[in-house]
Amino acid sequence: MRIEVNGAGHNVTSPPLASLLTVLREEMDVTSVKAGCESGGCGACTVLIDGQPRRSCLTPVVTAVGSEVTTVEGLGTPDSPSAIQQSFIHHYAMQCGFCTPGLVVAATAYVNGGGSDDLDSVAEAISGHVCRCTGYNKILEAVAAAVKSSEFDLSSTAVDKNTVVIKTGGAV
Amino acid sequence: MKAVGARLPRYDAMGHVTGTTQFVDDVRVPRMLWAKMLRSPHHHAAITRMDTSRAEAMPGVRAVITWEDVPLLTYGHLEALGIPADEPLLAKDEVRYKGQPIALVAAEDVDTAMAGVDAIDIEYSERPALFDVRKAFDSDSAQIHPWGNWYPHFEGEMDRRKIRKGDIDEAFEQADKIISGVYRPAAIEHVPVETQVCLAVPESDGRLTIYSCTQALYFTMGVIAAHLQVPLNKLKVVGGTVGGGFGGKVDTASDTVSALAAMKAGRPVKWRWTREEEFLASSTRAPWHMEIIDAVTDNGWILGRKMLTLHDSGAYARFSPYGVTKHSFHHTGAYTIPNLHFDGYVVFTNRVPTTAMRGFGVTSISFAVETHMSRVANELGMDPYEVRLLNANRINDTSPNRIRYTDPSTVDVLQSLAGAEGVQLEGAYAGMTRDPRSGDLLPDHLVGQLKTEGH
Ligand code: FES
Ligand code: FES
Repeated sequence: MRIEVNGAGHNVTSPPLASLLTVLREEMDVTSVKAGCESGGCGACTVLIDGQPRRSCLTPVVTAVGSEVTTVEGLGTPDSPSAIQQSFIHHYAMQCGFCTPGLVVAATAYVNGGGSDDLDSVAEAISGHVCRCTGYNKILEAVAAAVKSSEFDLSSTAVDKNTVVIKTGGAV
Repeated sequence: MKAVGARLPRYDAMGHVTGTTQFVDDVRVPRMLWAKMLRSPHHHAAITRMDTSRAEAMPGVRAVITWEDVPLLTYGHLEALGIPADEPLLAKDEVRYKGQPIALVAAEDVDTAMAGVDAIDIEYSERPALFDVRKAFDSDSAQIHPWGNWYPHFEGEMDRRKIRKGDIDEAFEQADKIISGVYRPAAIEHVPVETQVCLAVPESDGRLTIYSCTQALYFTMGVIAAHLQVPLNKLKVVGGTVGGGFGGKVDTASDTVSALAAMKAGRPVKWRWTREEEFLASSTRAPWHMEIIDAVTDNGWILGRKMLTLHDSGAYARFSPYGVTKHSFHHTGAYTIPNLHFDGYVVFTNRVPTTAMRGFGVTSISFAVETHMSRVANELGMDPYEVRLLNANRINDTSPNRIRYTDPSTVDVLQSLAGAEGVQLEGAYAGMTRDPRSGDLLPDHLVGQLKTEGH
């Protein structure tokens, strides 16, 4: 059994029904794919299979044979980050970062698939991802911005346009 | 001044978006074993028999750790601060919450470790369990803890955190109305997306390297060293990358047992909790039971407050006495009430031990105080902003534990909130400041608030 991950072939030694998540992490040391729940609930293990976002924890490895598997390592590197990766940095769309690879993968599928910058449809697209840290708004903004733009300033983060500015007479 | 006022990029952002940040579960070492825990299936039970010999004999099982392997079984998280210990690292004769750890199996792979757990022969005799903090406080409730159902060691030997300030009886004599309320926020699980995880690696020089998801690295080091009875220089704890914590990774949940297993097996051991274990057995924010009785005047002054707090500690004390102490200091919220009678108890139940979570001890009281302030305003028929502004902390007011406020922001925050909500405050309230009280804002009951008469 042989699978293609980020453009390279790999001979699988785990049994056919082992999860793609386990094969990626434990056999191949592709550690960006996170085990958040191993039961389909959190999205942290999301990879692209032939361009479609899939939960690797629920994917028996045998079903990925003959398909192209892409993880976040295959989308961009620290030397050459993708537009979506840049947008996440620019918009401050992460805190602990544990959910981030899965979200970047899902956002890539959304943007590449012609998704719009409407925040409600972005929210729909990432609704299967749990992020416990950010409160999601900055992630939505990052994805929406990546629909429109392909380069972002990484030397500073964007001012959050949703920030509530409280007008006050006194000093706060 | 490059940083102040500037929007700086996160130093770790590039690693996060490219998947190159190394979390504990991502650390790779050769010859690593996987661990699984036998956890109590009962909320409260005696362990009447346990035999690990079948598990130990299984092919692929490299170490089984029970209470007998722990050099110092019972060590309190806050023992260094004089808060005595009550929680065994692994259960010995009894279990007090469902999911309590009993025995760890380290094996060549996850499935073998799980099979090893299943091969431990164990029998229990179930006992009645308590889940409601208020019921646990009743004198006829079943006893679930050797200390009784609440913690008896505040300041050495006090069974509650007490605050007495001013003259509470006089406040209630002078009151026009008595307004009371009971507030009961429930437990909350932190749900970090990274579950509890540890990788312990025995080094050839006799030291242990421990990759930890802890939020409190030096604290964790002390706890491990105490249980293992080794000097700190035998431990190298590597932390710094936490996949979400929110307070739930302050307790040392997985490191110590993993370290023991690594020592016994002479191999690196990784113990990563499943999501189910995280929900079942990781600590939560506590449920609280708070009763507030206020002595108020018809024109909106709060003269005095009596309060009873029951903090659900779960089965063991951990940090709860500290949480209740913080809670007590904040039990008037952002408001000044000069006459106080506060009793706070750390009450045991058969729930998972509770711990810190964002604003430990304070979020509960903030919820209760703000809800109660609105209740007071309602019952008096006053504007909720006005009741709050009248009683708001000002310079030279004092906290329940008699700390003088030098620069409290309550007045400004309330005015900003009113502005954001589009509420027009009456002139006197719109013009209020945080300056020391005088004139109408210094009624008789507040004149003597700095005096420390009382009990
Ligand atoms: S680990 Fe696959 S969805 Fe959570
Ligand atoms: S950044 Fe921590 S879970 Fe999303």
